Amino acid sequence: MEKEINILGIESSCDETAASVVRNGRDVLSNVVSTQILIHRKFGGVVPEIASRKHIEHIMPVIDKALRDAQLQLQDIDAVAVTYGPGLVGALLVGLSAAKGLALGSGLPLIGVNHLEGHVFANFLADEALKPPFLALVVSGGHTSLLVVEDYNTFRLLGQTRDDAAGEAFDKIARFMGLPYPGGPEIEKLAAGGNPQAIDFPRPLLPDSYDFSFSGLKSAVINYIHTEEQRGAELSRENVAASFQEAIVDVLVTKCKQALLATGLKKIVLAGGVSANKRLQEALASGAREVGAELVHPTSILCTDNAVMVAVRGYYQYLNRDFAPLSLNADPSLKLGTL
Amino acid sequence: MLTLGIDTSTRVCSVAVCDGEKILGTLDINVGLTHSEGLVPQLETLLHLARVRKEDLELIAVSRGPGSFTGLRIGMATAEALAYSLNLPLRAVDTLKVIAYNLPVAGVLLAPVLDAQKGNLYVGQYIWDQGQLEEAEPVSILPAKNLVSLLEKKDRPVILLGECHRVPRHEGFLVASAPESARMPRGSSVAILAAQDYEPADRHSYFGMEPFYIRRSEAEELWEKRHNTK
Repeated sequence: MEKEINILGIESSCDETAASVVRNGRDVLSNVVSTQILIHRKFGGVVPEIASRKHIEHIMPVIDKALRDAQLQLQDIDAVAVTYGPGLVGALLVGLSAAKGLALGSGLPLIGVNHLEGHVFANFLADEALKPPFLALVVSGGHTSLLVVEDYNTFRLLGQTRDDAAGEAFDKIARFMGLPYPGGPEIEKLAAGGNPQAIDFPRPLLPDSYDFSFSGLKSAVINYIHTEEQRGAELSRENVAASFQEAIVDVLVTKCKQALLATGLKKIVLAGGVSANKRLQEALASGAREVGAELVHPTSILCTDNAVMVAVRGYYQYLNRDFAPLSLNADPSLKLGTL
Repeated sequence: MLTLGIDTSTRVCSVAVCDGEKILGTLDINVGLTHSEGLVPQLETLLHLARVRKEDLELIAVSRGPGSFTGLRIGMATAEALAYSLNLPLRAVDTLKVIAYNLPVAGVLLAPVLDAQKGNLYVGQYIWDQGQLEEAEPVSILPAKNLVSLLEKKDRPVILLGECHRVPRHEGFLVASAPESARMPRGSSVAILAAQDYEPADRHSYFGMEPFYIRRSEAEELWEKRHNTK
């Protein structure tokens, strides 16, 4: 029998302090998340200094609970995997420092994980048959990237956003409409009661490129609301939300279909916070079918920040002996793949 | 008590290993390297050169502030995780007291200062009394420009420590600066002070520990200002 590999994952890149133990990249032995969403809500977004303060308070109890839930001791762990970017630098540094302290104290190898690669790798838990190569769409508050996962450790970036990320556009429109943070789920809720075809917002499709651009769409929505208010017209907030959401989904799905056709890949995965959006899941699933491909059906674990995905990504880096030195620093703008 | 001391409250990264009051090794680096990069390799080198096996350590000690928020968290998260993985107790000590410990001089008021942003300083006030370093006043935040006139009213001469260069026009009869070599926090003082106060506690009593920030985050201050004036 092959040796079991237990990876301890640690994540603190934004507003969740998380730790998890995953065995052989597949079996989730524990998944502990301490979230700060309610703390940041009154500020209308994540306040970096407050996030860092909560991380330092919770990091050790969260790590300890992840080990206890897994019924393991630190000696039973094979490596410590930690998110070192992208994210808020002060927040990242808390988890990273704790991981390095554990590595020094226990002598375990340290693995530096790219948060976005973690999101992509969480799909191995959703679909046991999933194997590279496949296409991945990463959509979150900070990222909109389309990439080919060529094998477990090689990624090729096809395109990314040139301005606002998709999730950022959701959050900014939500904020403009007076909806609470985080805005994505609020827009989706509102959109459920509206007509997605009511307003023809622009679909910014940059030609000959897999890049995205959402800031023009964002301005168009804001202008529309302004104009309607000035005319004294009754604004259907539901229709605005539904039409705006549809415009973003349309752009994402169109680019994914183009990329599936061009690469001939048969599987696509969704990752990042916006992957929780049901309309996006639906539209991408049918869009993929139209070009003879299949969307790996996202499970809830893919949508929120957690340390399971860090441990899963860390497992494949472990197999590749991709260990980090104890001088590993946080990289708040760490990139995904290579151009 | 074999103690590892860590201070990352300022630009200096200072680590030391001490046996009681005996300093077995100390390593101070002040080249503007981020503590995140430097601290853990520095600890590794220190233990190696001082010939101390990490398994033989008995106590981990860390400065809890005031100081650079990010620096404090790097030191504390590393120290907590080290204590956890080595199954050791962890003690935190006040950074300004650690600095004052550099000058064992009775009869004067020791006033360590560190940058508190926007022209303010964190100010500590300590005196030596029968061989013990005592806090004369709790740590406070004061505008740098008011500090000298305030300290000149004290009943004894004052020696400034810490980031003395942030205090405008102060060299005089009543207020003087400590020599450069005694101004910044030392990991050895962290270790010695922590071992002196050490009392056995629950194994994970440091869970949930926070740095001694003194200041709240700017966002919270603004939020409260906005919501109280309405």
